[in-house]
Amino acid sequence: MYKWYTPKLRVWKVCHNAELILCSTIQSSRTGPTYYGILRVPARYQARWSWECDLQTSNCRSTLNGNSRAHSTLELCQLVCGKTNYLNVWPYPTGAISSIKEIVLIAPDTIQFVHKGPQETEQFLNNVTAYFRDRIKTLVPGHCPTPLNHVTIALNSLRGDVSLTLDQDESYTLETQAVGDTLNIQIFGETVFGVRHGIETLLQLLVPYEEKDATCFATLKSVKIKDKPVYRHRGLLLDSARNYLSTTTIKKNIDGMAASKLNVLHWHITDSQSFPLQLPNLPNMTIYGAYSEKQTYKPDDIRDIAEYAKIRGVRILIEIDGPSHAGSGWQWGPQAGLGNLAVCINQHPWRSYCIQPPCGQLNPTNPHLYNTLGTLFKDVTGMVPDINLFHLGGDEVYIPCWNSTKEIIDYLKGKPRTEKTFFDLWGKYHRKALEAYDLAVGHNKTSAVVWTSHLTDPEVIQKYFPKERYIIQTWVPESSNDLITSLLKLGYRIIISTKDKWYLDHGFWGNTPFYTWRNVYENKMYDVVDPGILGGEVCMWGELVDDINIEPRVWPRAAAAAERLWTNPRRDSKSGRYKIFCPQRETVEERNSRGN
Amino acid sequence: MKQGELRRALVVVTLLCIFLFIYLYWQQSSKLAPTLIYNYKHVYSSYRRSRPPQWTWRCVNQRCERRHIEGDADAAAPVSLATCSMLCGSTQLWPQPTGPVTLGSRAVTFDHGRLAVETTTGQPARALLVKAFAIFNDSVASLIERKDYARDRTDVRRFLVRVAVEHSDVVRLRMSTNESYSIVLRAVGGDMVANITAKTFFGARHGLETLSQLIWWDPYADGGALKVLKVATVQDSPAFAYRGLMVDTARNFMSVESLKRVLVGMSASKLNVFHWHLTDSQSFPLVVPSVPQLAKNGAYGPGMTYAPEDVRELVEFARVRGIRVVLEVDTPAHAGNGWTWGPQEGLGELAVCVNERPWSLYCGEPPCGQLNPENPNVYDILEKLYRDLIDLSGEDEIFHIGGDEVNLECWAQHLQKASTIYNYTDLHDLWGEFTLKALGKLVAANGGKRIPYVVVWSSKLSKRPYVTKYLEKSNVVVQSWGASQWPDTPDLIADGYRVIISHVDAWYLDCGFGRWRETGEAACDPYRPWQTVYNHRPWQQLRLDKKYIVGGEACLWSEQLDEASLDARLWPRASAFAERVWTDPQLDMATYSIQEDVYTRLSTHRDRLAARGIGAEALWPTWCTQNPGMCL
Repeated sequence: MYKWYTPKLRVWKVCHNAELILCSTIQSSRTGPTYYGILRVPARYQARWSWECDLQTSNCRSTLNGNSRAHSTLELCQLVCGKTNYLNVWPYPTGAISSIKEIVLIAPDTIQFVHKGPQETEQFLNNVTAYFRDRIKTLVPGHCPTPLNHVTIALNSLRGDVSLTLDQDESYTLETQAVGDTLNIQIFGETVFGVRHGIETLLQLLVPYEEKDATCFATLKSVKIKDKPVYRHRGLLLDSARNYLSTTTIKKNIDGMAASKLNVLHWHITDSQSFPLQLPNLPNMTIYGAYSEKQTYKPDDIRDIAEYAKIRGVRILIEIDGPSHAGSGWQWGPQAGLGNLAVCINQHPWRSYCIQPPCGQLNPTNPHLYNTLGTLFKDVTGMVPDINLFHLGGDEVYIPCWNSTKEIIDYLKGKPRTEKTFFDLWGKYHRKALEAYDLAVGHNKTSAVVWTSHLTDPEVIQKYFPKERYIIQTWVPESSNDLITSLLKLGYRIIISTKDKWYLDHGFWGNTPFYTWRNVYENKMYDVVDPGILGGEVCMWGELVDDINIEPRVWPRAAAAAERLWTNPRRDSKSGRYKIFCPQRETVEERNSRGN
Repeated sequence: MKQGELRRALVVVTLLCIFLFIYLYWQQSSKLAPTLIYNYKHVYSSYRRSRPPQWTWRCVNQRCERRHIEGDADAAAPVSLATCSMLCGSTQLWPQPTGPVTLGSRAVTFDHGRLAVETTTGQPARALLVKAFAIFNDSVASLIERKDYARDRTDVRRFLVRVAVEHSDVVRLRMSTNESYSIVLRAVGGDMVANITAKTFFGARHGLETLSQLIWWDPYADGGALKVLKVATVQDSPAFAYRGLMVDTARNFMSVESLKRVLVGMSASKLNVFHWHLTDSQSFPLVVPSVPQLAKNGAYGPGMTYAPEDVRELVEFARVRGIRVVLEVDTPAHAGNGWTWGPQEGLGELAVCVNERPWSLYCGEPPCGQLNPENPNVYDILEKLYRDLIDLSGEDEIFHIGGDEVNLECWAQHLQKASTIYNYTDLHDLWGEFTLKALGKLVAANGGKRIPYVVVWSSKLSKRPYVTKYLEKSNVVVQSWGASQWPDTPDLIADGYRVIISHVDAWYLDCGFGRWRETGEAACDPYRPWQTVYNHRPWQQLRLDKKYIVGGEACLWSEQLDEASLDARLWPRASAFAERVWTDPQLDMATYSIQEDVYTRLSTHRDRLAARGIGAEALWPTWCTQNPGMCL
């Protein structure tokens, strides 16, 4: 394995042999010393290390002077080793698996694609085919010892619906069968998104074959995999407001998500620190809210990312946080004759007015706020495909801010300035914001996601958030899982982001500990699989990360969460998944090649 | 008459030629073509400003305040954050100089083509200075955000850097090397002149680094521009002579390129010792010329070795950046893979318990391995190895022999000759004697001369009663890595030993990422934020006699990282450490609070590192950078 740094792109190149078979360009943190078996030897050297399958333990062991049955790479060995092996697939399939553990070789230029499905799916299947070819194209044509002559990959999508909504079926079946010198690969998906996941699984079953000058892939002679996710909503939150993230960085993370079959990019795009999203009808939001003009997203950037994500089976869930976590970008109200759209902006000393500097909260008493929000929602929904979901934030409202603002106190005149009064005001914001949203999109079919807060307390939640319209994203620690029980009992739909397992920013500030990939993996989400639990999200809050260091912070830990959400295995990280997880780190790297 | 004219013309022509020759020669020696390293950062070649800048910064009470341009009365001339910061309060220097600093409040625009160097120093320092100036030029170039910035818009004809070094014969860094320097920057006629005065090249190099930090990129000048303070004086010298950074390349291999980035970061922060933990029980990536079997059997793979020329290249790369390289091949513990070929070559077992399981019985972390103290061939190999290490690093003043975490159970179980085991009632004596023999071989390897700073890691052997028996205080320095609350450091000093401090609870930068193996605890969690690194001042907290403190060293072990996260793990925390050992500011032990100015300067320094191609971590949201003092 060769690695080198490309300063221009600020990325690492990882190449798996001297012929540069698979180069990758993602930064990802180590899961352990290299000693633990992720080494590979360039083919042009006489390999001194090889891997043998220990039939008793089903483990691959590195050996110095391997016999003729030893495999030249760890992946190759893992593909065929043992009865209970995992086929290198991450996340592990949930359905039946059967396979014949013999290897066949494929020369990539022999692969043919066949598409079967309703007319509407043709474009998407073309994209999936291009994606597949893109992933394997760095293989230089050359000698492949005994390749199969014919390889056909048939993509079958049963349904024509290509919209990425919460209820979209993602199941697939993958069958490969070698007969004579022909390898038939069939991927059946209920929808194109299932087909896409099948392609992703197939990519993980293709192992670069390293032997002398070989440039080909090895795969199993016969495999049959049935697979579908346990949870529908499998997300990664990226925060581009604390520190700006370039579109390149976002796309690279989408690549990692695709490789791990995560399907929701929850984009926390604004906060009190900055407002980087350019809105055609509200240019002031970035003029007043962006760190600089360079550090903004144009509508076309968002459209481009949404399209890029869709091909990878990822939907974009935009979050416009409010009424708290909003400040930068909202300062222009008075000049435009609209009054204060937000209050306490950048107020000092910040500890008196917010939880984290800079302060800022929307002004729920200003009727112009809701018109402005309507314009904002109209602009935003025009950039991303409708996924029947929108995130309205709703966390960490800091009452002392409103309680020290004259116009809000005046508005409340006559009412006691109790916590409840302010909660009602906060609830009013949510009601009016959702009204504005419905008006902007012209229907009321969208489910709004909100974070847990005082308003989602089981005692009061029904007053503020009708369960037909709202999905609750819980970020309470694992010890407070009884909140989830209560909310499920009340009939709410839940997205889980256990903060003491799945907050990837922890470990670098305050007394928070770092969560290793095992901690992430061992988040059981909840005791039972309940239909009210839509899924979960790992959250990469952005205070201490930017383009430079975000990738090793997210990966490979988000991949550990991905298996929890897709497979929800009973076993924990102590089982054999460890030995597959380490290579998975590199699989994620491989799939992330050419993020630029 | 005609003859006379001809003669006169000939004389004139000759004189002209001589003059031209001198002029060209002078030009050549004083003015180096600035080499730009554009690949370090994204350069926007086609910059299109569709809107004027939205923010302007005003200096109010020594602090830059961000204002929206539309609300600012003086919006006609918006001021960028970089320009405001340089002209307002903070020095923007990292580490903060220890001597007096005066900075003017006006800026001068120049383009990098105006930079020229002039030295009044003889060889061999002069040749090094030429290289250091090229590095300075690169540092300045790294600031440029636009290739096509208006190069001819300049307030000065020339920007002349005059470097005067007193001892031109000093080209190797020693513990006694004077690293002080002073800078006087001023406008002379139409020129900017920076006079850097230093006793040695190493001081002058630091001066160039500081000067580069007084230069900034102003994105608001039309199309962007380089600026420098019009007037500045700086006097500076370090608090400690040994300012180290250790990187481990044995647990995971790191390419030479990635180690060069470590050295670039060190030079930007005026750290001066790169302690290279080359080998461990996991792997032996160093190709030792006289014992190539070590790498052959111990490297992870053919692409993952350091050839002798790689090491020499790094040593030279470091030297011109004011850094010495200390190579460590850890023994007798932390050695296993790489030492397995003895039986094949008829030399017997060179190491015992290699890759032994269950590992927890025989070592602190897998895989196990310890040199075999009863095999005389081991010591012969050590002598060859030491000779090569001294030769490769050119370092005969400091030598690190490792020496930590010996597992006596390993030796007790595996040593074959019964007499060896039963000769000792306390196996620490076996360890001690190994150390004495190894030190004897080190003297032999160094041509019979004792090395004045032999560094060993603190261990059981550096504790009483063994320490005085086996470690000679006149030339052994103990690198004390135990927690600051442990008695190690005070005890060593009480016994008269010199120490290098690397307290695990403050200066171990690898901690905080949990367990990487199934059994055993995450011994050194939690993560040390930069404030913890910065606020560690053991000589004050533990009232240690500074006379015995050679310096400090931050350590990065690599079990859980490789090149992909090397930069982010090191920077900017190693810079925070650098200011501790260069400037050594007083610690407020009542509150442990850190001044606003430190945050502001470190934030600038982080951006500086990023511009030089180092993947340093974000300190906080960009908002806090744009609003100095408002996030504390």
